[in-house]
Amino acid sequence: MSIQFKTIKELSSMLQSKEVSNYELLQETFKLVKSYKHLNAFITLNEENALKKARNLDNNTSDLSLSGIPIAQKDLFVTKGLRTTCGSNMLSNFIPPYSATVIENLENAGCISIGKTNMDEFAMGSSNETSFYGNVNNPWGENLVPGGSSGGSAAVVAAGIVPAATGTDTGGSIRQPASLCGITGIKPTYGRISRWGMIAFASSLDQAGPMARTAEDCAILMNEMCSHDNKDTTSLDETIPDFTKDLDAPVKGLKIGIVKEFDLSKLDSNVVKVFEDSKKHYESLGVDFVEVSLPNINLSVPTYYVVAPAECSSNLSRFDGVKFGKRCDDPKDLEDLYIRSRSEGFGEEVKRRILIGSYVLSAGFYDAYYKKAQQVRRLIKNDFDNAFKHVDLIMSPTTRGTAFEAGSMSDPIQMYLEDLFTVPANLAGLPGISIPSGYLDSKPLGIQLIGNSLQESQLLNVAHNFQMTSDWHLRTPPTRSK
Amino acid sequence: MDKETVATISYLSRLAFDKQNEEKITRDLENIIKFVDQLDSIDTSDIEPLKSPLEKTAKTREDKISAQNRKEQFLKNAPDANDDYFLVPRVVE
Amino acid sequence: MTWETVIGLEVHVQLSTKTKLFSGASTTFGSEPNTQVDLIDLGLPGVLPVANKEAFYKAIRFGLATNAEINQVSMFDRKNYFYPDLPKGYQITQMEKPIVGTGSILINVDGAEKLINITRAHLEEDAGKSIHDLFDGETGVDLNRAGTPLLEIVSEPEISNAKEAVAYFKAIHQLVTFLDICDGNMAQGSMRCDVNVSVKKIDDKALGTRAEIKNINSFKFIERAINFEVARQIKRLEKGESIIQETRLYDSIKNETRSMRSKEAANDYRYFPEPDLLPVVISDKELEEIRITLPELPKQKEIRFIEEHSLEESEAKILASSKAMANLFEDASTKTKDSNLIAKWLVGDVSALLNKENISIEESNLSSVNFAKLIERISDKTISGKIAKSVLEEIWVSGNDVDLIIQEKGLVQIQDESILEDIAKKIIEDNPDQVNAYKGGKEKLFGFFVGQVMKETQGKANPQGVNEVLKKLLDT
Repeated sequence: MSIQFKTIKELSSMLQSKEVSNYELLQETFKLVKSYKHLNAFITLNEENALKKARNLDNNTSDLSLSGIPIAQKDLFVTKGLRTTCGSNMLSNFIPPYSATVIENLENAGCISIGKTNMDEFAMGSSNETSFYGNVNNPWGENLVPGGSSGGSAAVVAAGIVPAATGTDTGGSIRQPASLCGITGIKPTYGRISRWGMIAFASSLDQAGPMARTAEDCAILMNEMCSHDNKDTTSLDETIPDFTKDLDAPVKGLKIGIVKEFDLSKLDSNVVKVFEDSKKHYESLGVDFVEVSLPNINLSVPTYYVVAPAECSSNLSRFDGVKFGKRCDDPKDLEDLYIRSRSEGFGEEVKRRILIGSYVLSAGFYDAYYKKAQQVRRLIKNDFDNAFKHVDLIMSPTTRGTAFEAGSMSDPIQMYLEDLFTVPANLAGLPGISIPSGYLDSKPLGIQLIGNSLQESQLLNVAHNFQMTSDWHLRTPPTRSK
Repeated sequence: MDKETVATISYLSRLAFDKQNEEKITRDLENIIKFVDQLDSIDTSDIEPLKSPLEKTAKTREDKISAQNRKEQFLKNAPDANDDYFLVPRVVE
Repeated sequence: MTWETVIGLEVHVQLSTKTKLFSGASTTFGSEPNTQVDLIDLGLPGVLPVANKEAFYKAIRFGLATNAEINQVSMFDRKNYFYPDLPKGYQITQMEKPIVGTGSILINVDGAEKLINITRAHLEEDAGKSIHDLFDGETGVDLNRAGTPLLEIVSEPEISNAKEAVAYFKAIHQLVTFLDICDGNMAQGSMRCDVNVSVKKIDDKALGTRAEIKNINSFKFIERAINFEVARQIKRLEKGESIIQETRLYDSIKNETRSMRSKEAANDYRYFPEPDLLPVVISDKELEEIRITLPELPKQKEIRFIEEHSLEESEAKILASSKAMANLFEDASTKTKDSNLIAKWLVGDVSALLNKENISIEESNLSSVNFAKLIERISDKTISGKIAKSVLEEIWVSGNDVDLIIQEKGLVQIQDESILEDIAKKIIEDNPDQVNAYKGGKEKLFGFFVGQVMKETQGKANPQGVNEVLKKLLDT
């Protein structure tokens, strides 16, 4: 009996038929965790607690929808009593006194959290190389980055250790690693999932979402992760549909837009070929492709790199060595305490972004940068609004290419451009999904679908149709001998 | 991006850099600011800034007490505290 | 050279909500340190603020009472700076769109009225408290106050001197307590103010460079701080020195202001819209509901007192000056028709006692129930005015019930004519010389006999009764 690479659906039925007990499932899971230690995908494990929960479930069966399903939690969600570091030295000793709403929702639905996954520090990065806890390895190849910032979550799902993991996406942090690790990840509409207990990077862009092997599993997870939360007044109080209900609906006649302004000719021709093949595949399912124009979309990355750092510079001010988290040794006065605690507690990329944020908000620059970026943000959102008058969805590659080697991208701006295709959805608050769509040199690659506001069901439906008629999502990376 | 500007925003951010890192960070910031200067390419004079993708209004709360005393727990989590207070080096005013 | 002073005040009023502006923690004053701190007040990673509707309602009451524009869509911004008692490293405030826009308030200086325009009044969260002198080499941080709602009321620079500034601060104090949006307790810091002071030559159009004196919390200190600061600035200018735009601290012990030299100059608050809070909207219906529940304000009360109780304007003004005073008056009015008697007591003896100790009615031992009873006992002739005075003094000390004091001290007035007659007869018998002199035309001696009866009865005799009895016995 192997549980590796199983989906939620498969594991649920194995548990139900008693093919495997809850305890065995968790034991096997932790065996896999250990055999994949080289991935460095976990920062903190929750083994004792998880096994105890599993044993309880064996004694008292429950009919919860996700009963006994092991899940990995991005270390950005606070977990009561379980260390939460956000990938930072600053929080290396932080034990939260409360849990994020997403964590509670999933655990209340029966999920068992097995540990906290590695990530770029405070979610700032696209390769998981900014983590204080070291790089995460992509299961698809030695020394390949898994993408970021939800790199650990993507890697554990790709390696088949768990069927699902939570991620967060501020500029592509779910979709980009999903693409580079060959899994499925969805960033819902801004406000769909409560941000209570998500350590904020950029408040107006951050959104949590599921990462799993299939769109179907993502839909199952979405059903539990979404909620109206009085503790987050930016959480939507729109009706939460059953996201699994329309998965099988036919996609014939749907109109998918291809963004005219995305110049694919700048990409590797093989990457373009994978994308063209996906289009053909959808066409074979009866989808129509039309070109849409989003005139300002190429300003998304510069816009993002004003808005996100500005919000982050303020959000990260609470890490000052006074109430929680790290404090430097022997501060000689208050200023010394602040400056050394923060300089020692934060890594290079985080500091860089805090500085940019302070700069664009400072007197004399606010209008030229911050206000300007918020205005361009409006234009980008308007572009999408107009586009969705003509098409149901928009499709693009998720990433510019496949996973790159750790240490190969040293220029911050080159790294920022990794987010080219994913950032626009965050700026406009729209849902986006990445699904595996092909392989180059045995490295996975994904396509991204962006939907109109609140249209996650449609995204999942379109993704599911693709997966029902292709096998890219079924491929697994080479396994390690145990 | 001159040295003085970097020093000012570093201080505002309560961050410090040694000589070598300071030069690198100055260069990085220069490049990033140059990169975002692309935004100047379009006219936005009459555009209302978009502050949140949710163009909705806030839900508010009733004035009811819902918090309990968690003093002990909070102070225990602090880097330095006594039985009653969070502690920092003496601030002279 | 003649100098003109220009003053603007930023008054911080703690709103009397039960819970904080963005969390469900209590705002009670004086609790054990750090016991009224929620996850949100501590600024833990991952927490989010949720605005307290009641704070908005209270702010709107102020706005309506000052004829101000109410921004039915208001927004929050972040003000970024580091300080140990500011847990998030930013304060949530309203910069761009405050709940209350331009309004005005009438102040009274030595009988003359002046209208001061109010630029804006916005909601913001208070910081915690830093305790600098309790621990060796360390500052203690108490976050109980962190997140308490404040209404910051910003005046136009239309205040011309220290006296006006105090009158303005008093007018705000009076108004917010009338509106029941602040407890007005200055000693507990429920109202504090920052004062912007500048001076200029009388003919100059442009304002001079200003200094901001931070965080003053008493009427007396406002006056002293301004007077010191104005003198300091004029002295500098007359020596040809310039004024530095800076934040200064008032030291009440040395009675001086001094520069807070800290790196204030380098401060840049980097305001930007608070992305965790969407705009708060107040509906027309809510606004109307607040409007109709607004209490009667001092000026309206004053006019009504004059009309309904035929009081003098000067009396009515004093009676309407505070909510507590007006309550004493109105409660006592239900016990007697003699409004003038009540007014006389309040404006006279009660005010004198308050002024002597420089306290407010709330801080005294006098309750409105007890005061009404005192008036009732005077008007039903249980006690004389003179006795009432000593009863009031006793209340002032002990706060005891009027009837209890009268009973315990045996102060009930003697009205029985036969008792008074017996006493008077004895006095007449004991003083034959004075009787003869009186009867011989020395009418002034009548007072002597009254005094003797009073002495004999320890002041309890009804003065009118004594007069009558003595007249009867001596003049026949």
